[in-house]
Amino acid sequence: MTDVRTDPEVLDLPRLEGAAPTTAAVLDPTEPHSLVDARGRHRRPKRRHRSAPSFLRKLAGPLIVLGVWQLLCTTGVVNENTLASPASVFDAGRELWASGELQENLLISLQRVALGLAFGVAVGLALAILAGLTRRGDDLLDPPVQMLRAIPILGLIPLVIIWFGVGETSKIFLIALGVTFPVYVNTHAAIRGVDARLVEAGETFGLSRAGLIGRVILPGALPGFLVGLRFALVGGWLIIIVAEQINAQSGLGYLINQAQAWYRTDIIVLGLVTYALLGLIADNIVRLLERRLLVWRGGFAGA
Amino acid sequence: MPDPSVSEPAVVTRDIRRSFDGRAVLQGIDLTIRPGEFVALLGRSGSGKSTFLRILGGLDPDYEGRALVPEKLSVVFQDPRLLPWQRVQTNVGIGLRRTLHLDRTTVRARTQRALAEVGLDGHAQAWPLTLSGGEAQRAALARALVREPQLLLLDEPFGALDALTRIRMHALLQELCRRHRPAVLLVTHDVDEALLLSDRVLVLTDGRVSLDLSVDLDSPRVRTDPRFSEARTRLLSELGVDELAEGRHETQPLAARSI
Repeated sequence: MTDVRTDPEVLDLPRLEGAAPTTAAVLDPTEPHSLVDARGRHRRPKRRHRSAPSFLRKLAGPLIVLGVWQLLCTTGVVNENTLASPASVFDAGRELWASGELQENLLISLQRVALGLAFGVAVGLALAILAGLTRRGDDLLDPPVQMLRAIPILGLIPLVIIWFGVGETSKIFLIALGVTFPVYVNTHAAIRGVDARLVEAGETFGLSRAGLIGRVILPGALPGFLVGLRFALVGGWLIIIVAEQINAQSGLGYLINQAQAWYRTDIIVLGLVTYALLGLIADNIVRLLERRLLVWRGGFAGA
Repeated sequence: MPDPSVSEPAVVTRDIRRSFDGRAVLQGIDLTIRPGEFVALLGRSGSGKSTFLRILGGLDPDYEGRALVPEKLSVVFQDPRLLPWQRVQTNVGIGLRRTLHLDRTTVRARTQRALAEVGLDGHAQAWPLTLSGGEAQRAALARALVREPQLLLLDEPFGALDALTRIRMHALLQELCRRHRPAVLLVTHDVDEALLLSDRVLVLTDGRVSLDLSVDLDSPRVRTDPRFSEARTRLLSELGVDELAEGRHETQPLAARSI
């Protein structure tokens, strides 16, 4: 048994009145010795030190990954034919940007996704509202939609090529199809999940059926719809990547596919990085939308 | 000579019956509420008191019998039921333009006045989720009163509030009722609340009104008034609570602990 006063763990504890640590070495003799300071029992008080801004701290991880990647390439551990180094990917980007190929194909991909998204969101939303608002619509629409949802979209590619050929229509159709389901499922569930007590209150205070839909049900379902939209964006990009690699004469996927024939891993990686960036941007746009449209949740959302 | 339209009752029900899946919850309720009368409806949980209120509020059409209510009626529920995505003022004015055919400016002026009455004028532009429980319930009260109802239906409106807030809400409700004079039906399981606020207390037992008690206590009403405690004992025993016996049960563990 050691004297509690010589135990460094105890001596280290911050003192009650925030006394300077040097005086902590001598415990007040009037303090009961069988007790320990509550503060510091499990957690040390947060040290206040100035830290880098959060975006810099978050940047550190990716930068380390890039550095290690570059190192592996320059030391020859990884062959350039297996995986291009970050530097050569950057060079490829400059080269394709200068020739205009990157912008051109990027724009075409963007256009396909935008069109597919527009159709898919419109159809998904319309179906969700029809099925969500009326029992009859639900009985009629929900079972077939749930059945179609089970079909893997990419498995439809052969059929879609037979229907629409290899032109724009087939790609936009595939994206629209892939977007419809997440929008439908999330919005439908959100409409069904709108607090019935709010609907009841709206009724007693004289809202018409249209008023109930416009002011209670749809705003209540908005958070669910936005979740669906985020899934839809992810799905949309996924589909365009595959669709453009299988049948296309333009677009980012086509660029990647061409690069494969020439063993240009730098261009392949460039294409992948571009996809990733676009995905991030799209996701952030929806987050921004959420913040704008869902201000009423205040600190509630957390996201 | 009183105006005949004034002396017309605010609520008349004849033989209201309601059952859920064959289980009879209301077995013939006859009730008349005069204009401006404050009636409290007491009952144990499951006695059908909320069911009766919902019938009067037009929220439950599947009943038998006849229920006549004024066109202008409002409900305050136990939970505030404010639309979280509309600001407090918009919530208070909801449906006003349609039901009372008011223009935007009038609605704004009236909702602002109603919010001031419940002491929430500073929160008109707040989001409901930022309000405390008491504030939200006050907003619900403003939403109910802004349409100048002839009948105010209160479904355990203070049940979810803390004791201190409840006391203040009682005072606010009394003040508002004095000013607007609606007929009130307050559904509650709190005997003291019923005795503090109402002119008449009904006890609902097994789907029937088993006691109809006029409350003529001096105001301000205080719990220490012997007639208050007399009425309370009466009501509690009607509700099947033997105060003395229950009291003994309650105090025993306390006494044991204090030794």
